[in-house]
Amino acid sequence: MRITCPWCGERDHQEFTYRGDAAAKRPAMSDESIEAHQAYVYDRENPDGAHRELWNHTGGCRKHLVVTRNTLTHQITLCEPIGPWAKRLKAAAK
Amino acid sequence: MVNTPDKVSPLADLAMPNRPAGRQPQVELSERLCDSLVQVQAWPGTMAKVHKAISDVTGTRPAKGHAAALKGPVCIMPAGPGRYLIEDETENLEIRLRAAIGAHLGAVTGLTHGRVVVAIRGEKAAWVLASGIAINFDPSAFPVGDVRLTHHHDIGVTIHRTAEDAFDLYVFTSFARGFWHWISTAAEEVGYSVG
Repeated sequence: MRITCPWCGERDHQEFTYRGDAAAKRPAMSDESIEAHQAYVYDRENPDGAHRELWNHTGGCRKHLVVTRNTLTHQITLCEPIGPWAKRLKAAAK
Repeated sequence: MVNTPDKVSPLADLAMPNRPAGRQPQVELSERLCDSLVQVQAWPGTMAKVHKAISDVTGTRPAKGHAAALKGPVCIMPAGPGRYLIEDETENLEIRLRAAIGAHLGAVTGLTHGRVVVAIRGEKAAWVLASGIAINFDPSAFPVGDVRLTHHHDIGVTIHRTAEDAFDLYVFTSFARGFWHWISTAAEEVGYSVG
């Protein structure tokens, strides 16, 4: 599986560390519902098909990105930079 | 082989100049002295000011893209968005950069004792590296002067291509002996000498 880091370019997935489901939304800290926080920490969908997930390029630039990966074929269709450097990385990629 | 009173190389008893008998060496391995190595990380909105501060201290600005900027003994290598590895001969580089780049502009981290530079040179240098590092070493994808951040298994390595057949490899000091063991074993197939 090859992942295209917005900064470093295409690399083997072994350079990256999986950081979890990018679709999970953290409840507001003011939300006192135990169920909402438990769902955020533990409950995950198990989709067959496109899945947005967080990866960190630990063996390279150490930036996070959102990878859209097909869970059936491992085909990667999109790698998006996130975080405070995302805007600059997107501009550099154009 | 690097031994100074305050810096003892982990490769001191390994990177000994020699020439294996029975085979014409096609690569030369060596450990290069690194007097000062400092990492600078700009904050997302302070890159222009950090570039100016680096220029004021070193006399040169970071290059664009993945190219290293060279001026005399100074080498500024890109190490991620807004992040640079800066090497110089002067031992007070970290102090001068820290004075020019306050915490409001970025983070300055001294890595002089945290990295070892292994140099590989020779016709088969890229071939040897490609046997264990999964990036494209073709000059069209990795031109002379460029820098790549990658790893060999779990050993992080920053690669600076200094010539078509020469690379400087910055590896963690604590993994240097393991890295040397790998690269010298990989180079045995083509024959190597230690310079």
